[in-house]
Amino acid sequence: MTPNIAVLPDVVANQIAAGEVVERPASLVKELVENALDANAKRIEIQVEGGGKRLVRVSDDGTGMGREDAVLCVDRHATSKIKNADDLRHIDSFGFRGEALPSIAAVSRLTLETAEGEEVGTRVRVEGGRVVGVEDHPRRRGTTVEVRTLFFNAPARARFLRSVSVEARAVNEVVTGLALANPEVGFTVLSDTRTLLELSPASDLGERISGLWGEGAARTLLAVDSFAHGIHLGGLVQRPDAATPGLRRALLVVNGRPFREPSLLKAADRAYQTTVPPGARPWLFLELALPPGAVDVNVHPAKAEVRFRDGAAIEDAVETGVREALTRVSSAATLDGAPERPRLVDRERAPDAQTALFVPVHAPGPPPEEEAEGFAMIGERSRLFQLHHTYILAETRDGLFVIDQHAAHERVLFERLMTAFDEGGQPGQRLLFPLTLSLPPAEYQRVEELQGILERAGFEVAGFGGDTVIVHAVPDPHPWFDPERCFREMVEELTQGSELVRSARTQHERIGKTFACKAAIKAGQHLSQEEMAELFDALFATELPWHDVHGRPTVVRLTTTELARKFGR
Amino acid sequence: MRFTITRQNLHNGLVAVSASIPSKTTLPVLSNILFSTDGDGIWMNGTDLDVAVRVRVPAEVLESGNLTAPGRKLQEITRELPDHPVEVTTQNDQIELRCGRSHFKLNGLPADEFPTLPSVGFDEGWTVKGGDLQRLIHHTSFAVSTEESRPILNGVLWELSSSEMRMVATNGHRLARMTMPIGSSTATGADFIVPPAALQQVQRLFRDEDDLSVSRSGNHLGFCSGGTEVYTRLIDGAFPNYEQVIPKDNDKHAIVEKRALESAVRRMAVVASDQTHRIRMAFEEGKVHLNVLTPDLGEGHDELELEYQGQELEIGFNANYLLEVLRYMPTDEVRLTFQAPERAATLEPVSESDDKIDYLCLVMPLRLLD
Repeated sequence: MTPNIAVLPDVVANQIAAGEVVERPASLVKELVENALDANAKRIEIQVEGGGKRLVRVSDDGTGMGREDAVLCVDRHATSKIKNADDLRHIDSFGFRGEALPSIAAVSRLTLETAEGEEVGTRVRVEGGRVVGVEDHPRRRGTTVEVRTLFFNAPARARFLRSVSVEARAVNEVVTGLALANPEVGFTVLSDTRTLLELSPASDLGERISGLWGEGAARTLLAVDSFAHGIHLGGLVQRPDAATPGLRRALLVVNGRPFREPSLLKAADRAYQTTVPPGARPWLFLELALPPGAVDVNVHPAKAEVRFRDGAAIEDAVETGVREALTRVSSAATLDGAPERPRLVDRERAPDAQTALFVPVHAPGPPPEEEAEGFAMIGERSRLFQLHHTYILAETRDGLFVIDQHAAHERVLFERLMTAFDEGGQPGQRLLFPLTLSLPPAEYQRVEELQGILERAGFEVAGFGGDTVIVHAVPDPHPWFDPERCFREMVEELTQGSELVRSARTQHERIGKTFACKAAIKAGQHLSQEEMAELFDALFATELPWHDVHGRPTVVRLTTTELARKFGR
Repeated sequence: MRFTITRQNLHNGLVAVSASIPSKTTLPVLSNILFSTDGDGIWMNGTDLDVAVRVRVPAEVLESGNLTAPGRKLQEITRELPDHPVEVTTQNDQIELRCGRSHFKLNGLPADEFPTLPSVGFDEGWTVKGGDLQRLIHHTSFAVSTEESRPILNGVLWELSSSEMRMVATNGHRLARMTMPIGSSTATGADFIVPPAALQQVQRLFRDEDDLSVSRSGNHLGFCSGGTEVYTRLIDGAFPNYEQVIPKDNDKHAIVEKRALESAVRRMAVVASDQTHRIRMAFEEGKVHLNVLTPDLGEGHDELELEYQGQELEIGFNANYLLEVLRYMPTDEVRLTFQAPERAATLEPVSESDDKIDYLCLVMPLRLLD
């Protein structure tokens, strides 16, 4: 009797593996481009025909292979990238499973041309997983893999492919991600006869982004650079004033490897709290560098996901790193037509190592001083000028700040109250003539619910029976403060709800934001020199001085560079 | 209109009036001063529509008439004129000044464009000493509210009866009240809410020894002495019942040297939060402890000897309110009274002599959170 269980022939095993690794032309392109990057390519050309269903060709100028390797590499689990199980814990190359090429070869007609430079090259032809020819093939150093008629022997899978334009777009997306993660490599993507991407090698991420979406887009970004607990976070994120709802460009890279992790994007969004309007989705290009042992990239066949040993620490590093960038003057809104493109802080990288692969894992030292971004006032205390009783103009070392007095005071009051909450609350000034306020039933009920927290915000409220409350003590934020109006407006907003109220994460934030918004000095309020100076100092003592609590800027910058440009100097 | 006047008289009149002219105005005639002849003198009028100042100076009137002319320009010219008689004439809407060899022509506006001043008769009213009035104003008007939602509190309450007068001002956080005997009156009791701007003019224009006639007409109040008159619009409405909030049962009393307390509070204020300016005071027999703890900044502690009667008490204040009130205390020693940490504290002068000063300030505490 023949046994029911049989070891599958390699060809069948490879076809099954292909189902995981190769889903569609885009995933095929990803595998091939990653191989090219692993081979130190400086230029990679991707050509697809029929959305990749008919042809995918990836050529690189990498190290290439000798004949023996070329034949072996289409065998499953043949890889140059790891030798044993131990190496799995220290992966710093893209590929390592040795699955990609054999899997692709199993479901297509594949031609591999490669040369190491010195000797004549090799051409290997594989059809449905079987090597059908090995021959000499002259070419310059590098490798070209050509995949024709993907899924010719797996019609069930072929049926799941989408239209030509959808598949081509997916290819483009994949290459875009890899191009962002590897700015020093040049990429070209051709779909049939159309050039979808033409990116020459760039010096940094900013230049790459500019190449992809234009210089204007690159100039809305600011550099992130933080290091804590062995985690280095770098990259570029969008200035809050440029963030809009809608399409978000985002990329997460760990040790040079792009990956997906919604929770980290959420962590970055948390860092943007209060600096962008609700619903705005700032662009995020974040690069994490951490010791290879701290991340497991072998959890997903397509390696689109990774697993961190300490996910909470990574989330925390992203949130604090992005927030730290938002505290800097470069995150302030600007009047300039075209501010400088942000320069990434270049961590030392071994010059001949593949930059994307060998990210240094040792401590890069403290981030460099923000000397170029200094906004120190000229002289001890520059004269502040009030414009239309609404804006404060302040001279800075490299230009001018226009400060919205209401927005600035909102930020100050919000952070003060949030700090006060941590310490038990802010004191209320007792009133000689307590306010007796009659409220609609819904608002009355809201006040009852919030009584404790309102008290910690300085409003000492007591029920008076019926629909009337008595306010015995109120905060005293400035001499023109109208406590009754502030209280009524706060309660109304907290009862009715508003964008501001919805944008808050906690009850404390809800109170903090509405209080800041209603209690801050208004536009139209004349301020003396001392008062302006006090507000200026208080604003820049806050954590996020550049952004108010609605996600609007508090400060708009105008640099002397821009002025010089305007005047043609 | 034609008159001759000494440079000094012209200048005095212009200085007195031009301070009542608004510096920015949408009504051009308000930047002018109205001149009108009256027997052997001329009246000069200036107003910002809320407060009006009217001054009479002697002049040799050669031809009666009236005209308005730019107040500040005239004042600046007159300040620099040589000390010779000035001959002033008008031609149509122009005013012409001749003094020695100096000769100026300035464009004015017809007198009928100038707002009509309220007519207040001074036959009936009160007579008060300039000095007394000045003291009341000085010791109370600092306490008016700057916040504009309750206009009542933007004014000083002035209560007049046949025998005494009293001023009260408050912003709801602190209150000042002072009472003085009155010289004489022909009117019965009354009370007004006076804008501080008008009281400032009164302080500026009248001397301590002047006997001021005060009289009311409709919604206006007039002050008059010699050739100087101040009129003001009154603030409408009912002042809150301040007597009700002045505590009568404060059972804890402290007597402290004003300078020492001021100085200690000022030291504490340096370390206090620049938002709440909160300081804590803990009273016990023989002394008071002052404490400040401001996260992110630091802390301060101080101790002051004083006379204290009553149970121990810890209470918080806005240092600024306390300092302000202390500044206006007219005696070296001050009596403070308290009842509880959330109730009003009072401050009063302590005078040895018989002529007791009827002055009381009240400060509401900041609620302490622990």
